[in-house]
Amino acid sequence: MRIRSMSGILVMVTLMAGTVLAHHSFTAEFDQNKPVKLTGKVTEMKFSNPHSWIYIDVETNGKVVNWALETGSANALIRRGWKRTDLPPGTVLVVDGWQARNGSATANVSTVTFTDGKRLFAGSSNESAPTK
Amino acid sequence: MFPWSMKARPAVLAIAAFAALCQSSVAQQAQQKTLPRTKDGKPDLQGIWQARGSAAYDLQDHAAGAGAPAGKGVVEGGAIPYLPAMAAKKQENFKNRQTADPLGKCFMPGVPRIMYLDHPFQIFQTPEHIAITFEWSQVYRLLYLSGKPPLHDIAEFWMGDSRARWEGDTLVVEVTGQNDKTWFDMAGNFHSEALGVTERYTPLDADTIQYEATMKDPKTFTKPWKISVPLVRQKNVTRLMEYQCQAEAEEANGAFERDPRTWYPKPGSTPSPLGAPAAMQVGSPAVVKSGANLHRTADGKPDMTGLYQSNAGGANYGLEKHGRDEFTPATRGVVIDPADGSLPYQAWARAERINRELPYRGYDDPTAHCFVAGVPRSMYVPSPMQILQPPGYVVLLFERMSWRIIPLNGRAHIPDNQRLWQGDSVGHWDGDTLVVDTTNLNGKAWLNEVGDVVSHAEHVVERFTPTDVGKINYRATVTDPIVYTRPWTIEIPLSRQADELLEVACHEDNGDLQNLKNVRDEYRAQQKKEK
Repeated sequence: MRIRSMSGILVMVTLMAGTVLAHHSFTAEFDQNKPVKLTGKVTEMKFSNPHSWIYIDVETNGKVVNWALETGSANALIRRGWKRTDLPPGTVLVVDGWQARNGSATANVSTVTFTDGKRLFAGSSNESAPTK
Repeated sequence: MFPWSMKARPAVLAIAAFAALCQSSVAQQAQQKTLPRTKDGKPDLQGIWQARGSAAYDLQDHAAGAGAPAGKGVVEGGAIPYLPAMAAKKQENFKNRQTADPLGKCFMPGVPRIMYLDHPFQIFQTPEHIAITFEWSQVYRLLYLSGKPPLHDIAEFWMGDSRARWEGDTLVVEVTGQNDKTWFDMAGNFHSEALGVTERYTPLDADTIQYEATMKDPKTFTKPWKISVPLVRQKNVTRLMEYQCQAEAEEANGAFERDPRTWYPKPGSTPSPLGAPAAMQVGSPAVVKSGANLHRTADGKPDMTGLYQSNAGGANYGLEKHGRDEFTPATRGVVIDPADGSLPYQAWARAERINRELPYRGYDDPTAHCFVAGVPRSMYVPSPMQILQPPGYVVLLFERMSWRIIPLNGRAHIPDNQRLWQGDSVGHWDGDTLVVDTTNLNGKAWLNEVGDVVSHAEHVVERFTPTDVGKINYRATVTDPIVYTRPWTIEIPLSRQADELLEVACHEDNGDLQNLKNVRDEYRAQQKKEK
């Protein structure tokens, strides 16, 4: 990540720290009894609403699986100065979240951390989505 | 031949020549005099409009085809100047148009396509903004006249970003930031994300606007090209109705199922039984006082214009107070009447509310399908809204791509059998409080994600009271004798933000719905097996 973006991240951590927010579609889709911790390289970042998606390649025992990770809304990110190009492919992330009930390589994210320990954003459908 | 003396002739000829020269501008001046104008002297474009012609089918000259009339093209010079490789792509689009047209999936049409669909739209005008609300799927455009660039990084939006200015009597709009997923028409004419559109709205008389759009996209075209389409005032239309493209498609194909207890009954079916007549409210909440130092409009009403965020305390996850429940966030509770904060449910409706929270019911929430949130839910979904006060109206634009139009002319509600997702709202000022009366709701909406219930019998009275500059006390009183034993009231503060609306392409980006459907289908399969 570039320096400019890091300051954005710090602001985001302050705003969103500790918010593991979701809704009943979360309850329907993701299983709180299936926590996952993943490390992988970004293949794509999809800015969308009400959830953005980060795709990462996770290697386990020589086999690479592409995980789809559901995160906060694009508009919340845009309002904090994020651009679509700010999470380039190849960036290594450590992700905590909950796996989909159907067992697919899909998870709802609670925290995203860079290899140096800095946190990205957290939470799925954020209730207040503060704009300022 | 000439009755004038030779001396007089040169002068007469000069006058005649001058008159000929001036003829067009004189005619224009005459028209300009008859144009309706706003208080600040601009052409008044307010009203309901619709494009004339068959541009929606094909911008170029076209023969008739299945479901499409023949028609004359609207492209200046006749042909769209595609780069050679792009012309081939257009042909492929044309061949696959029945399945490949993004509009067939109910995706937002982009600009300029939204302007010449076969649906009316309404223009609202203030000195700072022009809003265009479309009947097609409650899409809107907000045009900024501030002269400032967008506040945020707008890229790959379906409807782009619109910055407008007046050039004489012509409204000129620069549209940027659109994605590459929309087409220009049903014939597969297309563009890349590099598209820039310059629109020109020139009123020819009180009831006609000449609409021109120039498309610039060096990745797709060899040069800029222009279309010209007349927009005609719809004098016999008193309000925009709704065409919720995706909701209608899903009701027709069975993906979104009728709930006979809450939906407005089909012709010939038995309506849901009404409960006991709603009791009068006892001990109504104290009246909210308006602020002393409010900004006011020219006509002395509180000026509420701006972008607002609701502090809803989680109302979108429950109107009643509750703690964090599995993954549902805690809620503050926004019910102020009854005083104990609980909703006065009838027994069947309370049971339904509890059932709706189960995972397999997630698919039934209309907002999971990205349908319009209804009233009052639109006011507290976790996305901002823009309030505008054009002459005669209050207009609410919701970031989740829907609108509410509130006329202040005291007109009667539309006939009872016309039912809408956002209902029929009529407003008036009670001192400094905007009071909005809404009926004609279709009973399809849920009040939040945990499924607080309303039916088609819902009648909502909202009160917007500005308590300070940029602060509004919002209350909604809901009366629904199918669902509740008495009326109830919620209260939510709204606060103005120095911000601009973005776009939520909920349906276009919907990745959750299939998962929710899978959960629902698995549950149903299990139920079947157990039987």
